[in-house]
Amino acid sequence: MTMAGHNRTGLRRVRVYGVLIALLGVMMFPFYAMFSSTFKPESEIFSAPATLVPSDPSVGAYLDVWTQTDVVLWVANSFVISLGTVVLTLLLAIPAAYSCARNDFVGKRTFLLAVLVVQMFAPVVLIVGLFDVITQLGLFNTYLAVIIPAAAFTLPFNIWMLYGYFKTVPVELEESARIDGASQFQILTKIVLPLTKPALVASITYTFLYAWNRLLFVLTFLTDSGKYNIPRGVFSMVGALQTDWRMMLTVSVIGIIPLLVLFAFLEQYIVAGMTAGAVKE
Amino acid sequence: MSLAEEYSKTDGESRLSQSIAHLKQNRRAYFLIAPAAVFLLAVVGYPILETFRLSLYRSPADSTIETFVGLQHYVEIVNSDIFYRLLWQTGRWVLVGVAGKTLLGLLIAVHLKNDIQGRKFFRTAFLIPWGIPYAISAVVFRWIEHPQFGYLNAVLLKLGVIDQGIGILGNPDIAWLGVVVADVWIGTPFMAIIFLAGLQSIPQDLYEAAAIDGAERWHQFRYITLPQLKSVILMATLLSTIWTFVSFDVIWTMTGGGPISTTATLVIHIYQVGLQNGNLGRGAAYSVIGFLFLLLFAIVYLRVYTRGGDEL
Repeated sequence: MTMAGHNRTGLRRVRVYGVLIALLGVMMFPFYAMFSSTFKPESEIFSAPATLVPSDPSVGAYLDVWTQTDVVLWVANSFVISLGTVVLTLLLAIPAAYSCARNDFVGKRTFLLAVLVVQMFAPVVLIVGLFDVITQLGLFNTYLAVIIPAAAFTLPFNIWMLYGYFKTVPVELEESARIDGASQFQILTKIVLPLTKPALVASITYTFLYAWNRLLFVLTFLTDSGKYNIPRGVFSMVGALQTDWRMMLTVSVIGIIPLLVLFAFLEQYIVAGMTAGAVKE
Repeated sequence: MSLAEEYSKTDGESRLSQSIAHLKQNRRAYFLIAPAAVFLLAVVGYPILETFRLSLYRSPADSTIETFVGLQHYVEIVNSDIFYRLLWQTGRWVLVGVAGKTLLGLLIAVHLKNDIQGRKFFRTAFLIPWGIPYAISAVVFRWIEHPQFGYLNAVLLKLGVIDQGIGILGNPDIAWLGVVVADVWIGTPFMAIIFLAGLQSIPQDLYEAAAIDGAERWHQFRYITLPQLKSVILMATLLSTIWTFVSFDVIWTMTGGGPISTTATLVIHIYQVGLQNGNLGRGAAYSVIGFLFLLLFAIVYLRVYTRGGDEL
């Protein structure tokens, strides 16, 4: 390669990094605004123009939300709702996906397409009818009122994702296990599921995130503030006339910390899941 | 009984017995999908029917007695000014939002595709906005756009664009743009990651051949990247269109549909009318109209998805 060629690739690298860092800066700024504001004293938050770096950083806001809001309860509720949704979704999705991957039966194509269509039917256009159903079932103001709809709308992705993975597990493995006397349940739990671990992790992560992040169901079906999840808790702090921004942003930071931890560990599975969900191979 | 009838009868019978045999043979398969199927029918199928039914009734907010009114809700909606304003506002919201997410996502993906150090870090960092609660992103953007204490005003003041703080979300003319920005920020990571996956599946030798032919980078993008990425872009923008169309949490948290309903979209109106005002019938009628739009998107999506017909 010539000198000029070297210079050109070098220049290109600089440009690529430059653009990426600039874009990252733009995408990260809201996080920075949120984090830095939580370390400002009240007087600095409510001063114009906004400062980039807290002049006198303190963790006062964190101590205040600890004592003055239900943030701990909201985080706990988010866990209850998310884990409940994950369990319910997997209990329904694993058998259905496995059945479709292993058998040819009349109605399979219809079932899988119907599932795909459910994914199109966003909860909010169903919310009026769903409200009627939840009330009639007497589930209003219970965790189940949130878990059930969330599971219904995460089920399609889970069924398709697991269906795709189950198909890749060689039938021969299952047959030899059957000859060795393993039961159907043992084959599923000891052979198939361990082999589809990446898909399971992606499923669980997707479902957990979905349930953790959703405001709509909690807003509509839970009136008891003791059952609020994090988004609902944050929303409840938006005042009609005045909003305590310092406290609200602090609760927001606390509400996303579990997600950041999840992201740090499971990034590759999340990407795999997103990609599998939307783009065919 | 004629011979023909005799034949058709046995034919019918054998078909029935065949079906029964099929059911028996696949009993376990049906047994395994039954829970999911029943669950979806109950939680999604039934509410769809219930929405259709409700849309034909009027339920006064102060009582539970329903009166059958037929298509009256639909007639009133189609004859109302608010409906056309909602269509315009929804269209504007979807179009600008999806365009923003697509372009920004493409820009990020094209640069992430390069063989650079720390790609995993960049990828994770770019993904984070997509993974946090929309309601939280919405309050953060509300904070950034705060008329007195927000960062946006601080920057604009510093640059001398404005000489006095402006309240974007309180201004009926530009409030929707203030919300779109947040929505684009949230939706861009998904596009970027999907496009990145698409870019990585383009054969590298296409670029090498083009480079030998002396094609400039822009031409490579225009004549290799874009055509190769076409189906991925189509799929992602369709999905994004659906999600943007039904987006609720962001608008609800940032403006609640205001000021004077200028940021309201069709789905925001469904919620306001059906649940906030308790007019279930009218809300249901709006929902059915929302279904029709989604159905349209879904048909297009399914056609694209099952093109080739070898997916199932």
